[in-house]
Amino acid sequence: MSPDEIAAARRRLCDAGAALRRRPASRTLDALVRVVDGWCDPASPWRARLERELPAATGFTAPVVAEGLARGLEPWSGAALRDVARSELEAVVRPGTPTLVAGFDLTSVLLAGAIPTPTLLALLLPLVIHSPVLARTSARDPLTARLVADSIHEMDSQLGDCVEVVSFPSDDLACSNELLRADCVVASGSDETIAAIRGRLRPSQRLVAYGHRCSLAVLGPGATRDTSLADVADRLALDTALWDQLGCLSPVAVYVVDPEAGSAERVAGALAGALGALEKDLPRGEIETAAAAAIARERAEAEMRGAAVHRSEGTQWSVVLEADAGWRPAPLHRFLHVHPVADTGALFEAIAPLAPHLAAVALEGFGDDDALAQTLAIFGASRVCRAGRMQAPPLGWHHDGQPLLLPLARIGDLET
Amino acid sequence: MTVSRSAIEAELLEWMGSRDWRTDDPRFERIALDLFAFQFEACAPYGRYCTSLGASPATVRSWREIPAVPTGAFKELPLRCFPEQDVRVVFRTSGTSTERRGELSLDDPAIYEASLLPTLRRFLFPKLEPDQRTTIRVLAPSPGEAPDSSLSYMFGHALDTLGDAHSGYDSIGGVLQTKTLRDALELACSQGRPVALCGTAFSFVHCIDELARTGDAFDLPEGSRVMETGGFKGRSREISRDELYGWIGEQLGVATDSIVNQYGMTELGSQFYDSVLNEPGRPRRKLGPPWARVRIVDPETGRDAGPGEAGMIAIHDLANTGSVAAILTADLGRTVADGFEVLGRAPGAEARGCSIAADAMLGEAG
Repeated sequence: MSPDEIAAARRRLCDAGAALRRRPASRTLDALVRVVDGWCDPASPWRARLERELPAATGFTAPVVAEGLARGLEPWSGAALRDVARSELEAVVRPGTPTLVAGFDLTSVLLAGAIPTPTLLALLLPLVIHSPVLARTSARDPLTARLVADSIHEMDSQLGDCVEVVSFPSDDLACSNELLRADCVVASGSDETIAAIRGRLRPSQRLVAYGHRCSLAVLGPGATRDTSLADVADRLALDTALWDQLGCLSPVAVYVVDPEAGSAERVAGALAGALGALEKDLPRGEIETAAAAAIARERAEAEMRGAAVHRSEGTQWSVVLEADAGWRPAPLHRFLHVHPVADTGALFEAIAPLAPHLAAVALEGFGDDDALAQTLAIFGASRVCRAGRMQAPPLGWHHDGQPLLLPLARIGDLET
Repeated sequence: MTVSRSAIEAELLEWMGSRDWRTDDPRFERIALDLFAFQFEACAPYGRYCTSLGASPATVRSWREIPAVPTGAFKELPLRCFPEQDVRVVFRTSGTSTERRGELSLDDPAIYEASLLPTLRRFLFPKLEPDQRTTIRVLAPSPGEAPDSSLSYMFGHALDTLGDAHSGYDSIGGVLQTKTLRDALELACSQGRPVALCGTAFSFVHCIDELARTGDAFDLPEGSRVMETGGFKGRSREISRDELYGWIGEQLGVATDSIVNQYGMTELGSQFYDSVLNEPGRPRRKLGPPWARVRIVDPETGRDAGPGEAGMIAIHDLANTGSVAAILTADLGRTVADGFEVLGRAPGAEARGCSIAADAMLGEAG
């Protein structure tokens, strides 16, 4: 794709956006609600096509794609999108003062990763506030954004004219310059990527950034003993296996807060068993040599420091029982570190360096006391949920702790 | 009965000094197994590791079965076969102040020096007579300035033993000394005296940038050569090796077939070099001394990768007598004829997906 083609797309989108803004917002929202409902329907031809084609495009196995979409879209609905629009847009209105909430003339979206549900939402949200969307596909998923754009067009052609999807190599500076000329830029990626993008924008441009995040699980005594352990391990293994642990909601470490001797060993063993069993129904996709090498090295380093390593014969899954709570790098692709911690004080000390990067925490085994959940949320987690639900965030989840629509909007109070 | 380290080193010193570069499978195998037996006993963390893998001197029958230690372990464990009080030299891997750095400790640098010099001679100065010296300019800190840099140590030893009166360092305090370098190159050009320019890949980028900025360009005398090593990790700029070699040709007048990439690392006692000067006209590949061997390991199986297939580079370096001989590097490579090619650094665990680097996090937390 050439810079000229992207510039032309930008111009088309701005024109289409001007036309879109002349129609009632409710009509647009109704159409987008129908789009979401369509994707949530397992019989939807768009979803069926995504299920069929995503494995070849991304390297995920077909069962992982099917299960990931089923679980990821299960809590979503058009009504949920309507709720987000209503709650966020109403929240900024003050009694007696008319407030204008509008999208930018153009929103450019730089997609990242290979998980389809964030891509779906990223394309829909700017449209809710009548901003046309110019999206660049991620290197790992060239498919989803195009299917979503086509599905919008099928539902409402005028709305469909407000979405264009482009692809170009990440080092194509001329193309990315054209993409970044939008008034609002939404970017997902590593902290380095976000910083680089920020450095290329004018101060007047809006950047909505979703940076480096990771997730973990915290298990208390109620989850590490007796019969509950197998159930919790099965659910955490599912959280890990879905999307092959490549999402920001995938757990990379499990903290066992249980003073009973052998609890972390039990958890590691149970997780290993569960991941091994899941490999039959939800096999991991093929990975590049470099990724396999990272796993092999991480296993070897763990063995060198005396950690117990539970592993598949190949690199399909790994569970490392650490001796302490110190955070370890995660090579992903179904690789878990299990850490013993003496108490919640030690837990927060151990994960303190993670706080700015925390996404979800799966919490199990602490009874009905939600004080720990609240503390984790204050600490930085933008989701505290049950094991087994990590890959199924509600549509309205405050991704990275932000509202979904308001960061994309221009807001003006009209005082008389 | 375990062969003593001193007996192993005596044989190695004899081998390294013999200039016999023929492949000697039985000799390598025997010394590798003797050294494994010694290191299994003398290096407690390594012995534990091998035991956890079910490998011991009683079970291992070939050097290929000897467990390789990932380089990352040098950041966490004291991998040495002698008491701490005997440490004379410590080399540390590069890194920021917040990162844990890998360490290689030496109690006696004799084997280290005995290994590096003939290898350097063979692959960088193949036509240099035994009593001959040559001009070596180094774009890296001197050993005095960077006592924990194995690269500076190597350059220091090379200058001491092979360098002539015009040799020296053109980097002080991390800053390229443009004037001394320019003067040295101008003098060499005026005298028609070949120069060997040595440094990290990134130091050559600096050098070329500086020459381009001042409008200087050299056509170094015939027989001049460049040795570059290392990558661009953590640097503000990354360029391809082809691009770098093109610039070196334009600004220094050294042709690509006289540019040698050295592949070495802090954790190793031996180094590998591009074959271009030693075997001109044959495909460029990495070759090393006969007392160091390379395996390309399939990360899925742990077995040797097929010919030409990508895998992890594992090095069995008999010069590592005081630490661990079998090293699993962080690099990917593939076999090329009787040598190998480095395909690049496998991404560290910390660089992948949504995970984050422990070291970076610790830095932020601090």
